[in-house]
Amino acid sequence: MGAKMSGMAVTEECKEKFMELKKKKTYRYIIFKIDEKVQQIVVDKAGAPTEDYDAFAACLPESDCRYGVFDFDFTTPDNCRKSKIFFIAWSPDTSRVKSKMMYSSSKDKFKRELDGVHYELQATDPTEMDLDVIKGRAS
Amino acid sequence: MYGGDEVSAIVLDLGSHSCKAGYAGEDAPKAVLPSLVGTMDPMYLPQEPEQPAKMGVDGDNNNAVDPKTGKPVEAAAKKSTRKLYTGVQAMGYRRDHMEVVPALKDGLINDWEVVESIWDHTLRERLMIDPKEHPMLLAEPSFNTPQHREKIVELMFEKYQIPALFLAKNAVLTSFASGRATSLVVDCGGGSTTVAAVHDGYVLQKAIVRSPIGGEFLTDCMLKALEGRGIAIRPRYSFKRKEVRPGEFELTNVDFPNTTESYRRYIQRAIAADVKESVCRVPDGLFEESSYANIPTTPYELPDGQTIEVGADRFKIPDLMFNPALVQTIPGMEKFTTEAGASVKGLPQMVIESINKCDVDIRRELFSSILLAGGTAAMQQMKERLEKDLIEEAPQAARVKVLASGNAIERRFSVWIGGSILASLGSFQQMWLSKSEFEEHGASYVHRKCP
Ligand SMILES: Nc1ncnc2c1ncn2[C@@H]1O[C@H](COP(=O)(O)OP(=O)(O)O)[C@@H](O)[C@H]1O
Repeated sequence: MGAKMSGMAVTEECKEKFMELKKKKTYRYIIFKIDEKVQQIVVDKAGAPTEDYDAFAACLPESDCRYGVFDFDFTTPDNCRKSKIFFIAWSPDTSRVKSKMMYSSSKDKFKRELDGVHYELQATDPTEMDLDVIKGRAS
Repeated sequence: MYGGDEVSAIVLDLGSHSCKAGYAGEDAPKAVLPSLVGTMDPMYLPQEPEQPAKMGVDGDNNNAVDPKTGKPVEAAAKKSTRKLYTGVQAMGYRRDHMEVVPALKDGLINDWEVVESIWDHTLRERLMIDPKEHPMLLAEPSFNTPQHREKIVELMFEKYQIPALFLAKNAVLTSFASGRATSLVVDCGGGSTTVAAVHDGYVLQKAIVRSPIGGEFLTDCMLKALEGRGIAIRPRYSFKRKEVRPGEFELTNVDFPNTTESYRRYIQRAIAADVKESVCRVPDGLFEESSYANIPTTPYELPDGQTIEVGADRFKIPDLMFNPALVQTIPGMEKFTTEAGASVKGLPQMVIESINKCDVDIRRELFSSILLAGGTAAMQQMKERLEKDLIEEAPQAARVKVLASGNAIERRFSVWIGGSILASLGSFQQMWLSKSEFEEHGASYVHRKCP
């Protein structure tokens, strides 16, 4: 049962790209946005595997909301290579209330469409999602 | 499914202190009125000619009979014959024997007749709409009971004939409006303060922490503190003011012995609330009598023209939110802590208690998304103080962040604003519980549609 507050549709492209990121590592990250006119969540941008976390963070607008997934590769202290998928709900304080409401009320429904997210975080300013936060959660 | 995007929805937030109402999509409620009404027992109403006297002169209700059937009047039927006066204007006029009755008790609807009267007045007199034409989003307390929810649904569909409805929890609306599906909402309202954790858009019921210390309690304390200093808070109806020489006034007392105690208190509290809202400011740290003894005072002019000076109380009254034990120092309020039980905690303790009742996994996130809302949160320095106290008391690893809108109006109406925006979103329109669904499945369907 999802939080029944939003009937926002999710395009097939969102699910397909996410599966490619998860299964084939075709992308380092994907940024999703809500297209208000058609009431759909669509892919805003997908970043190549060579891109890093800073590139991902730089794609998030300063004063509008987005959802993002990031595939975080790291090495554990005992030299094990690991990969964890993060879901980030980006909602800066300066964005419009309407935008905040759309993204927060549709988040639960959307996240359920993305099967395989390991960690989730919400951020309202860059410090809440900086690389140290990601590292801290993954370890 | 209801295709509700053609006409604008109405958003109603009936709180313990005030009812906020307006159109979905707007920035602020159009109508804000008290969640109280004036009531008059029928025995004080002028007899209508076709209705013979129903009661003895001594007002012995037990012998009352219905004039048409001749049967004894049941308690419930008698109750519904009382006359209600709703809205600021009707209540502003003093009437002999008029009592003041609240709609809510302990945060839940207590008197349905009063509630209906408030809704009627709001929809028809203030918004001037026909409820049959508008879907209605109602904000509800996070701890609302299933029985209350079903009764609201029945009333809305059966009495008001609305086309569609949605019930949304206060804390969820505040949380979404700040862009968070997960947060800890600290709602400092009128009758109480509620701390509720919202996770993925749901209120975690087991983590709700409540206290009777809200804005109304602070108002009472302000009133007692002023009275304790020998200041008389005189209701406007209790004196006449005449200008004897330019700028010089003379007051004469006017005595209305049949004014009820509840009405007198209602008017006095309105004055004390204005004093509170005008002068109070949350102190940076724990209030101590000695350090505030010599602070500069702030003047306030009462309705009778006397100017009072408010000093330490400016800081002491708001500090009660953080430090309820201070109530012991307010004359006439000493009994409060014993009556309410020793369990009354200050805001920081309530926050920590609520977070500790949540899963370990989400505690960190809650500490960094504490949202301050409600009318009492409009007090200056409230956010800063809560954050400071929490940083001292929270576990070391926690990163504490308290958020509140910079704008006092937005803090005060965060629940209503959340409802307003939610109900106006295109993505929300298919979420309404429609009249036909209600007719098909009954009122309990609301628990499925609006969890
Ligand atoms: N600027 C202010 N300073 C202090 N208290 C305020 C201010 N504005 C409103 N309040 C108080 O807020 C309370 C009402 O808050 P509200 O959230 O509307 O209550 P409820 O939801 O319980 O009806 C009242 O006690 C009122 O005195």
